[in-house]
Amino acid sequence: MTAVTYLEAISQAIREEMRRDESVFLLGEDVGTYGGAFKVSAGFLEEFGPERVIDTPMSETAIIGSAVGAALMGMRPIAEMQYIDFITCGFDQIVNMACKMYWRSGIPLPLVIRGPTGGGTHGGPFHSASPEAWFFHTPGIKVVMPATTYDAKGLLKAAIRDNNPVLYLEHKLLYRLPELREELPAEDYIVPLGKAIIRRYGRHMTILTYGAMVHQCLRAAEQLAAEDGLAVEVVDLRSLTPLDRETIKESVKRTNKVLIVHEDTLTGGVGAELAALLAEELFDYLDGPIMRVAAPDAPYPYAPSLEMAYLPGVERIVAVARQLAAY
Amino acid sequence: MPTPVKFPRLGESVAEGTVAAWLKREGDYVEKDEALAEVVTDKVNAELPSPVAGRLVKILVPADQTVPVGTAIALIEEEGAGSAKAEEEEQMAPAEKAATVSGAVATEQVTSAAAVQRGTSALSVEAEAVTAEPHDGQQPGERQRISPLARRLAREHGIDLNEIKGTGIGGRVRKEDILAYLEQRQARTQAPATAMAAQLKPAAVPVESPAAAAAARGPEPIVGPDEEVIVPDRMRLAIAEHMVRSKRTAPHATTVVEVDMTAIARWLERNKEEFKRREGYSISYVPFVMKAVCEGIRKVPLINSTWTEDNRIIVKKRIHLGVAVATDSGLVVPTIHDADQYTIAGLARRLNEVAQRARSNRLTVQDLQGSTFVVNNPGTFGTILSVPIINQPHAAILSMDAVVKRPVVTEDDAIAIRYMMYLCLSFDHRILDGAGAAAFLQAVRAKLQSYGPEIDVY
Repeated sequence: MTAVTYLEAISQAIREEMRRDESVFLLGEDVGTYGGAFKVSAGFLEEFGPERVIDTPMSETAIIGSAVGAALMGMRPIAEMQYIDFITCGFDQIVNMACKMYWRSGIPLPLVIRGPTGGGTHGGPFHSASPEAWFFHTPGIKVVMPATTYDAKGLLKAAIRDNNPVLYLEHKLLYRLPELREELPAEDYIVPLGKAIIRRYGRHMTILTYGAMVHQCLRAAEQLAAEDGLAVEVVDLRSLTPLDRETIKESVKRTNKVLIVHEDTLTGGVGAELAALLAEELFDYLDGPIMRVAAPDAPYPYAPSLEMAYLPGVERIVAVARQLAAY
Repeated sequence: MPTPVKFPRLGESVAEGTVAAWLKREGDYVEKDEALAEVVTDKVNAELPSPVAGRLVKILVPADQTVPVGTAIALIEEEGAGSAKAEEEEQMAPAEKAATVSGAVATEQVTSAAAVQRGTSALSVEAEAVTAEPHDGQQPGERQRISPLARRLAREHGIDLNEIKGTGIGGRVRKEDILAYLEQRQARTQAPATAMAAQLKPAAVPVESPAAAAAARGPEPIVGPDEEVIVPDRMRLAIAEHMVRSKRTAPHATTVVEVDMTAIARWLERNKEEFKRREGYSISYVPFVMKAVCEGIRKVPLINSTWTEDNRIIVKKRIHLGVAVATDSGLVVPTIHDADQYTIAGLARRLNEVAQRARSNRLTVQDLQGSTFVVNNPGTFGTILSVPIINQPHAAILSMDAVVKRPVVTEDDAIAIRYMMYLCLSFDHRILDGAGAAAFLQAVRAKLQSYGPEIDVY
């Protein structure tokens, strides 16, 4: 058994599910002959044939729209966005069709939309998006963001088996990170949707985060422990919808201080909802203000120096955590 | 240091009051004597003038909260005093600031710097606690910063937050501080927890008046179809609270004399219009009675006194007469200071002034403070006998009822039609007995009946 990358874990999940269930199929730009822009589906065409691994025209509306139709007919499509930035071209098919279908018709819509998100790869303004807040806001679709190789596979399998539309946001910076290589269980497993996980325990504050930022936060927690003697708890949300309120609240009740970290921009982000939730439900458990570290409210920059400044990193997380600890 | 604005003593009977509304916001600049807030106390709505010119840096008591008189309700930073303060007040990045203060932080920069920072803020809080003397019945504590969690823990454990020194930025009380305090308290186990809690001074938290509290928290009354519920306004609640307190505090005894007001009535009939034309303000029975009351107090000084909580009687040498004035928004009792120094015409003028200010809601804090005795005049409503309740903490209160024509048996056994009035004195029986009260009323009556047909009101 060899350790696999985050990317390989995604690939394994799709392959195993396609083998397990004939109604599962993959469609998207360059997913067939080319094996996907990031080679997630390399070898799929050969194994499953062109009816189950479909190269589509460059139209996200068409990709998602036909996936919605297929799902209505009882298939379990996986629609790939070559870069998640372009999901906006299929926005109407998601928020008006996919999200409302079961509500309108009572017919389940087992659909997975997935694609590479996030920055740190010098992708510039059109290849670095973190679009989770739009869909987090929209009722009718589940949103998951795996941070580890194990979760990448387990969450994707759970998403494929779920009878609702699920937006599966994989972080392209994590695709081939050597330190994320992991030996995965030989047997079939899933990571249930809607369950957060505490990556590190601590009593001085809780950091709520998800996606690639989990690793920045863990590094920050390490530094805060070494330099400040602070025991920082890091909660990896994994699923944004459904949100694991129990785990979040249980953690905050113990630590009484909260820092929210996400790569998406600040205003109206996932952090805003988390902050509101905690202020409403745990006000008198709070020993300090709910604080946020996020990207500035600006389009994603191209210049490497600006990109470095734009993305939340260990340094900023540590600085804000210190401020919160001293509050 | 910013100047604290204390809740004013609006009349000596007032133990507490409510900030009805803030007219300025934090950060606003105010002139000296500019109205800061509307305050409501017993019987009075007033505007609170700023004691100094400066910036309103902090509102300590939010609108609608009831606090004891003397409570600091806001902080005003006088011009030019701000710069040095700002640092110790406001958040600073703990590490670097403390480092510059101590100079000695090098390797373990963050941890030790944080420790130094904690040290300094604890010190400054301590210093404040000393100057503010939290045990003298006033509460400087409200300026404390407290995290929501710390507030809840303090409540749950019956902790007076004034006992706690905050170690957060700006001296904020936070979880650690409460837990450390609890640990300490646990250590002193000789005193059981409840006794400790009782020992801790309770007055620090703003209190709601019993009446207000009852109104706010009491169960909703069950209302029949032929009944209607009225929720009393603040002034009504304040009056209710004061009346109950007065009756509970002072054993009231009441005594009445009948006064022949014929000479004054005839003089008024003849001179009233002319007086008004000449002076620009009117004259009534009231200044005559006030003048006579001053005479009576001179004869029986105990009437102008106060029974203190530690069982002393304080006799007031100056006579400040409160006069009840009915206004659209309720009854107010402005004060005419040093009433005994005025002629009857002078009293009439002062009366007109305060009554006008009262009716146009322009009474000053000064107008409402310091009365030592109240003359009440329900007679304007046509009543002939009224038993008043003492305005705390006075020794007595006088009601003058309507002057009415009545057949009276005169000295020489004739029956004559005279202008008669009842004067009714309610007095605090702790201070005075019937003899003293009667002596006072006799003196007042003697003065009122001493006038001949020509009265010199000047």
